[in-house]
Amino acid sequence: MNVILAVKQYISKMIEGCGGGMKVLLMDRETTSIVSMVYAQSEILQKEVYLFERIDTSGRETMKHLNCIVYLRPTRENIDLLAQELRMPKYGLYFIYFSNVISKQDVKILAEADDQEVVREVQEFYGDYIAVNPHVFSLNLVGCCQNLSWSPPVLSRTIQGLTSVLLSLKKCPMIRYQNSSEMARRLADSVRQVIGKEAALFEFRKTDVPPVLLILDRRDDAVTPLLNQWTYQAMVHELLSINNNRINLSNVPGITKDLQEVVLSAEHDEFYSNNMYMNFGEIGSNIKELMEEFQKKSKSHAKVESIADMKAFVETYPQFKKMSGTVSKHVTIVGELSRLVGAHLLLEVSETEQEIACQGDHSALLQRIRALLASDKVRHIDMLRLVMLYALRYESHSNNDLAGLVDALRQRGVSAEHRAMVQSILDYGGKKGRGSDLFGNQDAVAITKRLLKGLKGVENVYTQHKPLLTTLIDNLIKGKLKEASYPYLGTGQLRDRPQDIIVFIIGGCTYEESLAVHTFNKTMPGVRIVLGGTCIHNSKSFLQEVSMAISNQSGATQGNRGMRS
Amino acid sequence: MSADIIEGFLCPICMKDLGTVSQLQGHFEEEHSSEDKAVFQQLKGFFDKAKKKILGDRVDEGISPNGEVRTSGDLSIILSGYDPSWWEDQELGASRSHIDTFKAVRDARVDFFVVETNKLLIRLDKLLSPDAPTDPKKRKAFEREVVRWIPDSEVPACLNCGKSFSLFTRRHHCRLCGGIMCDRCSEIMASSYAQKLVNPAHSFSGDGFLKRSNSNTSLNSLMGVDGEAVMRVCRTCRKLLERRDKMTELRNSTPIIVQIYDKMKQCIREAEQIIPEYMPMVDSLSQGETVYNYRQALILRTKLVRLYEAVDQLSKKILVMDLRPDEQCPNPRQVILQKSIRMYASNFMQENMIGLQSLPSEDDYNKLRQARAAEIQRRIAAERRAAMEAQDRERAERERQSREQGTAGGSGQSLSPQEEGVKLGHKRVSSGGERRKFLGGIVGSKSGGKGHARTDSDGTSNSSGGWKPSEDPHRLSRSNNADPMMQQMEIIRGYIKQAKEAHRSDEVTMLEQNLRDLAEEYRRQQQSAKS
Repeated sequence: MNVILAVKQYISKMIEGCGGGMKVLLMDRETTSIVSMVYAQSEILQKEVYLFERIDTSGRETMKHLNCIVYLRPTRENIDLLAQELRMPKYGLYFIYFSNVISKQDVKILAEADDQEVVREVQEFYGDYIAVNPHVFSLNLVGCCQNLSWSPPVLSRTIQGLTSVLLSLKKCPMIRYQNSSEMARRLADSVRQVIGKEAALFEFRKTDVPPVLLILDRRDDAVTPLLNQWTYQAMVHELLSINNNRINLSNVPGITKDLQEVVLSAEHDEFYSNNMYMNFGEIGSNIKELMEEFQKKSKSHAKVESIADMKAFVETYPQFKKMSGTVSKHVTIVGELSRLVGAHLLLEVSETEQEIACQGDHSALLQRIRALLASDKVRHIDMLRLVMLYALRYESHSNNDLAGLVDALRQRGVSAEHRAMVQSILDYGGKKGRGSDLFGNQDAVAITKRLLKGLKGVENVYTQHKPLLTTLIDNLIKGKLKEASYPYLGTGQLRDRPQDIIVFIIGGCTYEESLAVHTFNKTMPGVRIVLGGTCIHNSKSFLQEVSMAISNQSGATQGNRGMRS
Repeated sequence: MSADIIEGFLCPICMKDLGTVSQLQGHFEEEHSSEDKAVFQQLKGFFDKAKKKILGDRVDEGISPNGEVRTSGDLSIILSGYDPSWWEDQELGASRSHIDTFKAVRDARVDFFVVETNKLLIRLDKLLSPDAPTDPKKRKAFEREVVRWIPDSEVPACLNCGKSFSLFTRRHHCRLCGGIMCDRCSEIMASSYAQKLVNPAHSFSGDGFLKRSNSNTSLNSLMGVDGEAVMRVCRTCRKLLERRDKMTELRNSTPIIVQIYDKMKQCIREAEQIIPEYMPMVDSLSQGETVYNYRQALILRTKLVRLYEAVDQLSKKILVMDLRPDEQCPNPRQVILQKSIRMYASNFMQENMIGLQSLPSEDDYNKLRQARAAEIQRRIAAERRAAMEAQDRERAERERQSREQGTAGGSGQSLSPQEEGVKLGHKRVSSGGERRKFLGGIVGSKSGGKGHARTDSDGTSNSSGGWKPSEDPHRLSRSNNADPMMQQMEIIRGYIKQAKEAHRSDEVTMLEQNLRDLAEEYRRQQQSAKS
């Protein structure tokens, strides 16, 4: 149940299958992202893959001495491009792999194009998703619904992505879905249809307890993606945006050229892998340690000075300077994060956000929100989020003063377009759209729990909020997830405690939820959970998602680019 | 220190610029290895550190979305947010192959091409045969004999372009399939190209098909404009012939870059075989041990250095290679390819070569050996003293006991002094020896047993990890009267031979260690027997 490993094994297998000699890897836009998430360039280079080409690049040069590994999504466009390529082959031999199911008809088209008999292999390797962490995958689709129902191309891509996850992990699951969501039901149904149609593919060794696929809808919990985050990975995504492990730092004041775009990959960066789930305070001290270690190391290198001119040797050794790469990368990122936190009063904003999400005193909160709206330092986007959270939390409160807050936004110069988002979020994730008790107002047990928590006091005011997903997974593991709200698709029920769980959130998951799943995986022996979403949201991309879901004209865009603001 | 700053791969002792890491290391070991071992160790230490840094820090790269090559991270260590041990191993995900369907469709199509092409080649061969008549009239008859020409009357218009034939648009026959087309649609094949198609040994350069001139003259089927023999064929036949020609060429030619690359890979493979053999040798020799032959290690080392140099040279050759000097701008992808290959080679060298330990010089080695021998002598002496004291004590004790018990039959149960020596000696060696782990198994099983005849075959197989020497068939026939130590040594020698044949260098190491211990022990016994 490690999605990174699953994709990586596919790629390794492809390279092995191609034999020795010089190789070129021919990909499309999406498979390029898929491969780059699991393999670093140097790693793949040591397997004699020397060139990386895109199938849609025209005018690639002929190099018959290279063997070609083709890894493509089986789209109409790719099939045509590949057939064209085979008619005029540019490389020696071709080993073709598709990331998903390809039709017999398409195989025929390709076979008929291969007059020169250059193709040695045609296979389906189901790595049709972006593996982000061992337990997290994404499809990089922002805006999966229009007018609150599936946009057809996004639905079919989601079905492909989700079934390929199942195939790559060799799981044929029981499916549960969120009953309040029509989209979840439809996706669940479609996945089951694929499993039925490709029954032979889904023949896996039976396990004692069948795996569970739980399909949820973001609309049930619109609060989580609106909150500021304080763990490293989530915070970087919220404030700087992570796009396929890449972070664009070109807007950071005084950035040097080689740090304009950096890569944060837990697979290849030890410091990141050790700290991605740490909170901001801990990272501060860890980065200090890292610095000290680095300084100690450079000092021990300086000792070489005792031998004449060794120092000159060291300094001219070309890659020697690279040792500071990791250090300067993380120092820069953490520096920028703390600059943003200080400049925009994010601690105060976040504390208020958490209180809105978790506690109940309406009038005190209203006052705090007003105070923050009056501050010059708070960014418009943060003001908007505060008001949105307020709107969701006190949707039916008798003294609700949403109108007043929206008016305050107007006075602060927040654009009309953005102000309209307050209504959009209510349409998207308000009471009507929700199927579960997000704020724990109805359930007596939940209310008592909250009261108790209030009595005990809170350990960390910035991380009080626990996403709804935590409760759902907890209930699922304990067998307490209500069947009325999360029914099984088809007949059959799980009697035992589930072991392998795949959760998919339509409308995108967040790194806060990723952390929650990580914690479950770590603390619950025998339970393995993989979390996926149509994308991984930060607040910006989520607002984009919401506005696309509510409006009915704009189409889906691919790529997790976030809203420009 | 001079004020000038010199850059490059400088030798820290003589300040010579050596150009590459491998040359620097080679130079250093040849010229200065005796001068200052400490300096070299430090240099080596630096290399190791640098290596770690270089490998550990190339993190920031991946494949950028536009396919450009970026620098990259070290993946030899797989890191992740998880402890990889708490989720069990994962098998390769599901997959499905379509190659059978693919081949079925392709072969049906390709078979048609192959049959057609072969037909054409047979006809071509006949037409080109030296016996073929050259007289135009006879020639035409001969051509029609080889291929049945479609009668003019059957074809009112060009089969290719559909233009109707008339006095000005005349009919022409393809000499290979007999089909009819107009002049514009026919292709003129040079006969030397045709020769090459039939016989690949025939050398040919230039265009196989002539450029069409605008003149509407009817070509003689034998002679072209510039006097070269030509042949008129249709477009379909041309395509088939050219397809075959291309495929043959691809099969038979190996571009120069591939040849160099293959050589480089060969060197890398050889080096990868030698490294695991060489490493334990260096370790052992620099301890002053005598398990391995110094000369042999030297030979391996020279071989390795030579291989590394070859890899370096070849990859550099690839890097600077200009595949098409006639063109102004070199193919950019080709340049990237060449750079990547060079990077691959230097990564390989960084990984293996910088960590390559040098041997001590011969003088140093002799000194080391003597020091070790002296050390062993000292130890033996100390042990013998200890053993003697122990024996004395034991004897006194036994005497006391036998006096007390008043029985005299205890000698059968007690250990002979000789055996006691064996036991103690082995224990000492095993606790002091480098390969305590390996020895432990054997010494344990031996000192546990009291009889001399007990062999160590069990102990050996325990530690051999899947490989086990077969029992020597002659062993049992040997006289029981021979010294059991000698017997033991003989057996181990036999095992060593077998292990060497099986190329199990680990076992050879271990067994040789045993043998040496036994030899020492034997010598000690002899000495103590004399004294």
